[in-house]
Amino acid sequence: MATWPQETTGGRVRAKHLIGAVAAIVMATLSAGCGQSAKSGDGASNVASPAKSADGKKVVRFPFVIGESGFDPVTAHDLYSSEVIDGIFDTVLTYDYLARPAKLVPKLAAEMPLVEDGGKRWTIKLVKGAYFSPHEVFNGKKREVTARDVEYSFKRHYDDSLKPVWRFLIDGKIVGLNAWYEKSKKSDGLLWDEPVPGLEVVDSHTLRISLTKPDYNFGYVLAHVAMSIVAREVVEKYPNDVQSHPVGSSAYFLKEWVRGQRIILERNPNWRGGTWDFKPNADDPYDEVIVKQMKGKPLGLIDRVEIYPIEEEQSRWLAFKNKQLDFINIPSSFIKQAMPGGKVAPDLAAEGARVATTVDPEYTYNYFQWNDPVWGGAELHKVALRRAVAMAINRGEEIEVVRKGTAKRAEFIVPEGVVGHQAGYKSSIDYNPALANALLDKFGYKKGADGYRNTPDGKPFSFKYTSTPTALEREFDELYSKNMEAIGIRYDSDKEKFADSIKREKRCQIMIRGAAWIADYPDGDNFTQLLYSKNIGESNNGCYKSAAYDKLYEQSALLPAGPERDKIYLEMQKQFEADTPWVLGVTRYRNQMVYPWVLGYKRHPVMLANWMYYDINTGKGN
Amino acid sequence: MGAYVLRRLWQIVPTMAGVILLIFVLFNVVGGDPAYLLAGKISNPEQIANIRKQLGIDEPYWMQLLIFVKQVVTFDFGASWSTNEVVSSMFASRLPASLMIGIPLLILETIIAVTIALAVAYVRGSFTDRAAMVTCTIAQSVSILVYIIVFQYVLAYKWGLFPVQGWGNGFFENLFKFAALPVLIALVVSLAPNIRLYRTFLLDEVNQDYVRTARAKGLSENRVMFVHVLRNASIPIITNLMIQLPGLLVGLFLIERFFSVPGIGREVILAVERSDFPVIKAVTVYVALATMLANLAADLLYKAVDPRVELK
Repeated sequence: MATWPQETTGGRVRAKHLIGAVAAIVMATLSAGCGQSAKSGDGASNVASPAKSADGKKVVRFPFVIGESGFDPVTAHDLYSSEVIDGIFDTVLTYDYLARPAKLVPKLAAEMPLVEDGGKRWTIKLVKGAYFSPHEVFNGKKREVTARDVEYSFKRHYDDSLKPVWRFLIDGKIVGLNAWYEKSKKSDGLLWDEPVPGLEVVDSHTLRISLTKPDYNFGYVLAHVAMSIVAREVVEKYPNDVQSHPVGSSAYFLKEWVRGQRIILERNPNWRGGTWDFKPNADDPYDEVIVKQMKGKPLGLIDRVEIYPIEEEQSRWLAFKNKQLDFINIPSSFIKQAMPGGKVAPDLAAEGARVATTVDPEYTYNYFQWNDPVWGGAELHKVALRRAVAMAINRGEEIEVVRKGTAKRAEFIVPEGVVGHQAGYKSSIDYNPALANALLDKFGYKKGADGYRNTPDGKPFSFKYTSTPTALEREFDELYSKNMEAIGIRYDSDKEKFADSIKREKRCQIMIRGAAWIADYPDGDNFTQLLYSKNIGESNNGCYKSAAYDKLYEQSALLPAGPERDKIYLEMQKQFEADTPWVLGVTRYRNQMVYPWVLGYKRHPVMLANWMYYDINTGKGN
Repeated sequence: MGAYVLRRLWQIVPTMAGVILLIFVLFNVVGGDPAYLLAGKISNPEQIANIRKQLGIDEPYWMQLLIFVKQVVTFDFGASWSTNEVVSSMFASRLPASLMIGIPLLILETIIAVTIALAVAYVRGSFTDRAAMVTCTIAQSVSILVYIIVFQYVLAYKWGLFPVQGWGNGFFENLFKFAALPVLIALVVSLAPNIRLYRTFLLDEVNQDYVRTARAKGLSENRVMFVHVLRNASIPIITNLMIQLPGLLVGLFLIERFFSVPGIGREVILAVERSDFPVIKAVTVYVALATMLANLAADLLYKAVDPRVELK
């Protein structure tokens, strides 16, 4: 071993260098921490908001779980961008803030549309004095919203250069609109000024829409955020970039946007305003509190809305606990910390935080490919196979383990909170692996030497489940693999990118996949159409084909919501259960935690931007 | 020297051609079809065909390749398919945030790692050396995710030393307030492997004859270590540094996500998830170019620190 002179003093040198290294790190830590004040614990005890702008204005702050894409109503395809759009732009109709199930009310319309000709003619009278937010394109003048703007905004869904994503809402529904589009395609660009018979501008504030067939659900289309009203001058100034320059006539305008970092909205100085006047629901006692807090106040009391995309759950949760955010959808991995035993955690309760639980108007499901030689089709043994799988999938375990208790089992083809849902309905297909095994035995799915079942003609087969390579889907792999094992069916996990799945799905090439559908509008039709055979390649992703179901769907589509349609929905459910083209999954809850200084807060199942209905306690008396 | 640099720059052209071809083939073979994602919830084949047309992915492959080459030459990669943001402005707005973390990290990491490596190399074989190596091995074994979660929870949330997350407007506000914890975490994560690596480089030199000669001449230990040993060990250290430089363009995506830093790393991950080819193309080309330029810079630095190195 070499003996170097410096080793005789090694102890001192060692200590010096170690201390130096540790000191460097500690100093870096302390110096880096100097001068910041992210933790703002004050203000909670008197339940006033800790967030006030320099000029004392009321601010509300909340997170998005992913970055937004842009704010053009025609092209926005993500929920978060749509929420901002909803806050900036007006739609003809909207929803009553408190009413459940969701109820349509006028927004840009002066009153509810006049529906005539058996649901084919809709006459809309626009409110007078609705102005777009100020913009240089208006040359300093106040620009009123007119019927022409509504006509123009609807036509924009046919501008292919924008890659519109919501055309299906009106496609083929308005008399002459598709013909206008076809004619435009043959000319040099869209014929914006050419009238469409079904979009008749009667006067500056009246639009008459003629539909190709009766559609009592068209009101939901008029309330959809994609049908927001834009000003043609703004679009023509930014032909391919309206998403960065959204100019609407609703309560807020885009003040600042740093992509993926923050979205700041301020109250539209030209906004027409209104008075808070909603009625409480009998089944939600907190509505009374909200009504007491808000009744009679002007709408749009929040001066500024600050939205922060925060992707990671821990970051969101800690930012909320640090009072950097005023409300949050509790991240699933923190649900037990936030609500141990289903109650607000003591530390948060002491701060006055409350939880508002809502059920999303949606469900998840697993579809079987109707064209698949093993799994699809109406033959009895195939129905038996699908039904056996439906009885083998343990939704209870999914809810407890995978969803951490934040979901409930979906039983009906129209989910809870959506018009047409039949509360209390219990599906005939329940979790019962023993019965599933018996059913498979009866229909000739015998087990082979490897312990797994083969088809009645002796061929091996598997439950090939297509999903994306995510942590959540790996949990489903574990669950389904165990469930299939219990009935002797091989499990085969097929991982691919989401875009690839969608592509194959539209070509009816996926054997089994999990999907979810959240309401575009809260009417049963938005869900029952998922099984209509004419929607194969569009939204019927299992490619289910049933003449009986189709006939019922076509009947239901012509009817307004009511007992007659409900009766047909029940028959459709029975047909659905008889064929079992899907296994219905769950409907997810959202647990919103809100600090006490946010007044009037209630999450709406469909309406995205509700800030105009809130108030903030600034501690100065509201 | 000038001829060498020109020759190396010229070599970038065929390398870049290979990169272009590789990206193009990979995207078209394994990349998803973005039209299906952009088409929204309900779409028909006609609408999907229209989107493909708008994106230009219905063109023959040779035409798409030609457009790609033109984009590389002009550094104009068009707009993101999913957000419509111009790719160059995306880089211009996101890169500063990534660099705000990456550059201080690189500087601190190099200074601290070299200093500690010198210290432990100086006392090699001793308890301190062994303790440092064991600590480094343990520190390396822990996932970066654990560091992020623990540091964010303890230092930011519990102790309030840093913001839990967020990003501001001002340069100094971001550097000293919002970037501090991300830099600290990245520093802690990167120190362990770098200390081990640099210690190895230094030990390789410590055992050389010229060190023995220096000591025999009676040079102080500080001069031996900091002048003779460090200078000779600097070539592999420079190599390691230069390898890390192009990474600045990609950012530290996990750290950016956790601390809501609007950097390029988050955008890259989103682009991959969304099959956003213009962004993927731009990132790959920029990183490839940066790698080639960093390699060239490394070669020039070799010559600067060691005149015996010949550039051929």
